[in-house]
Amino acid sequence: MDLLAAVSNQQNSQPQSQISHLALDIGGSLIKLVYFSRINDSCRDNDELRSHNESLGVSNSDTSQPILEGRLHFAKFETSKINDCLEFIRSKKLRLGGFHDCTSPSSDKIFIKATGGGAYKFADLFKEKLGISLDKEDEMDCLVTGANFLLKAVPQEAFTYLDGQKEFVQIDHNDLYPYLLVNIGSGVSMIKVDGDGKFERVSGTNVGGGTFWGLGRLLTKCKNFDELLELSQLGNNRVVDMLVGDIYGGTDYAKIGLSATTIASSFGKAISDNKELEDYKPEDISRSLLRMISNNIGQISYLNALRFGLKRIFFAGFFIRGHAYTLDTISVAVHFWSKGEAKAMFLRHEGFLGALGAFMSYEKQSLHGLMVHKILPRFPISVSSAGDKIYCSLNSDSNENEGIECTVYGM
Amino acid sequence: MAGLTEDLVLGVDDKIEGFQNKNNNNSNSNNNNQKEVIDKEGLGVRGEENSNTNNNQGGERDMAPPASSSIHRSGSRPQLDLSKAAIQGNSEERDPTILLPNQSDDISHLALDIGGSLIKLVYFSRHEDQSSDDKRKRTVKERLGISNGNRRSYPILGGRLHFVKFETSKLNECLEFISSKQLHRGRIDSHHWNSEAPANENAVIKATGGGAYKFADLFKERLGVSIDKEDEMDCLVAGANFLLKAIRHEAFTHIEGHKEFVQIDHNDLFPYLLVNIGSGVSMIKVDGDGKFQRVSGTNVGGGTYWGLGRLLTKCNSFDELLELSQRGDNRTIDMLVGDIYGGMDYSKIGLSASTIASSFGKAISDKKELKDYRPEDISLSLLRMISYNIGQISYLNALRFGLKRIFFGGFFIRGHAYTMDTISFAIHFWSQGEAQAMFLRHEGFLGALGAFMSYEKHGLDDLMVHQLVERFPMGAPYTGGKIHGPPLGDLNEKISWMEKFVLKGTEITAPVPMAPPGTTGLGGFEVPSSKGGTLRSDASALNVGVLHLVPTLEVFPLLANQKMYEPNTIDLADHSELEYWFTVLSEHLPDLVDKAVASEGGTDDAKRRGDAFARAFSAHLARLMEEPAAYGKLGLANLLELREECLREFQFLDAYRSIKLRENEASLAVLPDLLLELDRMDEEARLLTLIEGVLAANIFDWGSRACVDLYHKGTIIEIYRMSRNKMQRPWRVDDFDLFKERMLGSKGKKPRPHKRALLFVDNSGADIVLGMLPLARELLRRGTEVVLVANSLPALNDVTAMELPDIVAEAAKHCDILRRAAEAGGLLVDAMTNTLDGSKENSSSVPLMVVENGCGSPCIDLRQVSSELAAAAKDADLIILEGMGRALHTNFNARFKCEALKLAMVKNQRLAEKLIKGKIYDCVCRYEPAS
Repeated sequence: MDLLAAVSNQQNSQPQSQISHLALDIGGSLIKLVYFSRINDSCRDNDELRSHNESLGVSNSDTSQPILEGRLHFAKFETSKINDCLEFIRSKKLRLGGFHDCTSPSSDKIFIKATGGGAYKFADLFKEKLGISLDKEDEMDCLVTGANFLLKAVPQEAFTYLDGQKEFVQIDHNDLYPYLLVNIGSGVSMIKVDGDGKFERVSGTNVGGGTFWGLGRLLTKCKNFDELLELSQLGNNRVVDMLVGDIYGGTDYAKIGLSATTIASSFGKAISDNKELEDYKPEDISRSLLRMISNNIGQISYLNALRFGLKRIFFAGFFIRGHAYTLDTISVAVHFWSKGEAKAMFLRHEGFLGALGAFMSYEKQSLHGLMVHKILPRFPISVSSAGDKIYCSLNSDSNENEGIECTVYGM
Repeated sequence: MAGLTEDLVLGVDDKIEGFQNKNNNNSNSNNNNQKEVIDKEGLGVRGEENSNTNNNQGGERDMAPPASSSIHRSGSRPQLDLSKAAIQGNSEERDPTILLPNQSDDISHLALDIGGSLIKLVYFSRHEDQSSDDKRKRTVKERLGISNGNRRSYPILGGRLHFVKFETSKLNECLEFISSKQLHRGRIDSHHWNSEAPANENAVIKATGGGAYKFADLFKERLGVSIDKEDEMDCLVAGANFLLKAIRHEAFTHIEGHKEFVQIDHNDLFPYLLVNIGSGVSMIKVDGDGKFQRVSGTNVGGGTYWGLGRLLTKCNSFDELLELSQRGDNRTIDMLVGDIYGGMDYSKIGLSASTIASSFGKAISDKKELKDYRPEDISLSLLRMISYNIGQISYLNALRFGLKRIFFGGFFIRGHAYTMDTISFAIHFWSQGEAQAMFLRHEGFLGALGAFMSYEKHGLDDLMVHQLVERFPMGAPYTGGKIHGPPLGDLNEKISWMEKFVLKGTEITAPVPMAPPGTTGLGGFEVPSSKGGTLRSDASALNVGVLHLVPTLEVFPLLANQKMYEPNTIDLADHSELEYWFTVLSEHLPDLVDKAVASEGGTDDAKRRGDAFARAFSAHLARLMEEPAAYGKLGLANLLELREECLREFQFLDAYRSIKLRENEASLAVLPDLLLELDRMDEEARLLTLIEGVLAANIFDWGSRACVDLYHKGTIIEIYRMSRNKMQRPWRVDDFDLFKERMLGSKGKKPRPHKRALLFVDNSGADIVLGMLPLARELLRRGTEVVLVANSLPALNDVTAMELPDIVAEAAKHCDILRRAAEAGGLLVDAMTNTLDGSKENSSSVPLMVVENGCGSPCIDLRQVSSELAAAAKDADLIILEGMGRALHTNFNARFKCEALKLAMVKNQRLAEKLIKGKIYDCVCRYEPAS
């Protein structure tokens, strides 16, 4: 797959790098990977790091840990093509130093952190094919950890999208909580986050990315999710949706604040006797579907935010894909229902929260004193070389390929 | 969807307009004829469709012009069919009824809700209440002091509310329907009710829904009527409030296939969330009448289900799509938690393996195309997705405003069990049991009803629960839950249709029917028992009956606790109980049909009607067996009443007439001997003998199979004497001593006699003549006024209020006490042409009166009685309920503000065991002091 090629190429261009840590999020539709590669010659980075440290008043001597510098990489595979993923991991020759279970003597056992339903479902497969045991991390834990990490550690991670305008949001770390995290994967989870490791899954909906892609496939014969999304940009949902104006003969239903163009019933026009599926343009269907699902997620999210008095809603998950129209619809839905009170925010690393969270869970093992590694919370991990990509790649999913260069203590 | 899916028979009712008209033309002669018939021939008249109509009741009826038709006996529960015989063959096209100058008494009113997918009609057909010339009534009125004045600023009309729907895409059918029924000619303005209502050039009809705007021009052009647009939300709320307040069994919960009606306390109704699921979904917070706010909604609604469903399955109708879903298995399309977790639950957050993680999430598979999926599975997946989503958003909104009750209406639901279960589950799941989803039987008609109520003077505001009676005539032809063809217009069509299906060997299953779906578990989406047709679509049509508005019905004022009163002693929710009575009624059916056919002279026509009745009633029974709550909460009383209604629907007005006559005659012949016998006894012995007599005579009950068998073994008087001799005290329930003490006192203390006693009588023949009349006579002798309370309409061999005056008159020939009392009560004024002597001494007697109870069933629901009875109850301090139907099947547990005596012989083994732990022919004599 394209992504694989891209990632591989990137890796090939840096033959020196070693992958040391890898974590997986195996969902219903997609497998997300996060892995860390060391950069051996990193003088420049070290310089910068040092200067950054100094500017922040952080002394290296604060820590007794060695500093590892490297890059966090993000990759994804379709779950149905798990073999590609296995092949990819094999090709990376993971040097999973230190992940042997020290407590057991026969410790050629290799563990990697994994989350998502597939961590259970495919555990045997990983064992069999790669000899790797999956260390299962709770999905919600990982999502929250990943989101907290991104929101705190990565500048310009969160952004709003209104009227076609992206705007990055400066998150005050001291005023981050509580927030609602909406992860739109195949299905949708809504999590109220009160702090690190403090959260509750308060709601969710079964109408999510899988619904869009599943229904879309049945209705349009698109070959993949991205193609379906592309199509939606060319479509006109009015052909398929029943609008308030269609019912009211073109007039608004002003009394209750419904304009003539408000969708009264998604796909409500498709009840017409005269037209069959073939008579509708796939573009229009895709558009209608996207609006239906985005709007629905936006609405349910808002209602849950309202319920807990949460002003901020962060949307993540692979459904969004930085797709402008999706962003717009969700934003509009939240704006509409909250009458401007609540704001939808999106995360650039939207799809990788779970995988990142799983990755971060290695940290916990530091408690055993063996593998102390730590990402300094005060220390921004992204550095200059990745800058361009990070800041400008929101309209496509190229950001999924990007690495985050980082410095890790103790790896 | 069938073009016209009418919710209930209208044809039958609507013909009345034409008939009315015809009748009006010669109403004078008609009235005269009628009087003659009654005066001279009394009970035994043929052509009783006329005599019956006289059986109106008093009350506030005098506003009606006396000269107009008296055909409709709309006084007590108006019945569909009493006037139908005359209607037959009287095509409405030939009689443009309302156009006639003198036509004023049968006006229809119409309101519309034109939505994106469906047009809903509510129309009202009025049947003028009449003040008849019945002397008995007049006297009763005078005696009881019923005011003729009208307490209301404008009258509530008696009549019927009908519910019909059309697809919006078939607007033409709707226009034709309106046009053919001349519904648009009706006027609701009360000025026209009693005067001429000429066709109005500028007729206006109320309408709501988007289509009221969109199609306004079309209505003007085609029907010449202007659409008066009413706000949609206003209408929804007005409709819902009306239904929740006025209809007893309107709201119900539906959990895991189990339907339960909810008693709504009117004082604690608000606030609630109203979720109307049409093409789209509106969520409205309702705080009171006219006080509401649309707080939310969703664009994923019924239109989405049907639109997406059409694209994905090629179904031709919404109902077909819904039907498909019942055979579906959504696991092939939906991605479940278990699919992601390798068959495991995600228990940490409370998601079971069968929870749907992603609707249609499995359809992303590369290997399968649309055609590789079963339409059934697609439909089910879609249904779950949308229902669950609506449930969730509704709950979140209820939560937001702290609303505990959520009512769901709108045509998406269609009484479909699985849809309701899914929504209920969603609400229950998300609220952790805190909130409850409730559904409305008239789910689709909220808007149309509300539009109807927006007429300035619709009279519905004042309407109370007890003034509405819902009837379930056989509607459109149904087989296997599907509607075939147009609704049946008249009786002939109905019969032909029944015969046709019998010829084809098709089993007529009554409409709609649902086995419980096996839903749920933690996380909700356990796979339903999706094997085969266990989840059949509720075509919803028969769930909504024609609403009869009977302004003269009242709550019986002597009920100790009106709110807690439940007429039925036996709850048929217990399936074994239902099965038992189902069997009893089924076995009794052939005998009943024989009687009915014979009562109509055994003609070919009568035979055809008899067959049709048998099939229709069997179909009702079958339907109720499948879904006991199909017509609302089901008690034995309802079941028995349904049978009588069904008989009337097929124009058997009084199947037992000749039997009743014969038995009355035979009993009256031996009455003098019995009275002599009684008069020879002392007071104490007499009282016991009288009560024994009532119990013994109660054996004559054609509703009891055991007794019917008895009849073949002897004459009435033999059976009566045998029965009385067997009356060995103590009876199974025996409060006689208590009663005796109240009547005769103890230790020489003489208690004050009762002021007025209400005697609820049961059967004709020995029961009334040898049982209740002597008891009445005893009370009269003691100076107690006696009011005989009898049925308004025939039911089995029960005596009716119409028949009583003649029975009393005959009995009075041999008894001065009865004669003087009957004269005082106005019962003999014209029936006794050859009275024995003068009438001077009359004044010294307390009166014996007869009132009708307002019903036509062997049982009695005291929440809905005639205003006559209610008025008579005012001064009453003793109630005597007699017979199984009135004292056991119903009201056994009822408590009254005054003393009550419940007398019955139990002529059913099962009932004996269940109720009094006794056996068949055991007796009940229960005396209860005032509570």
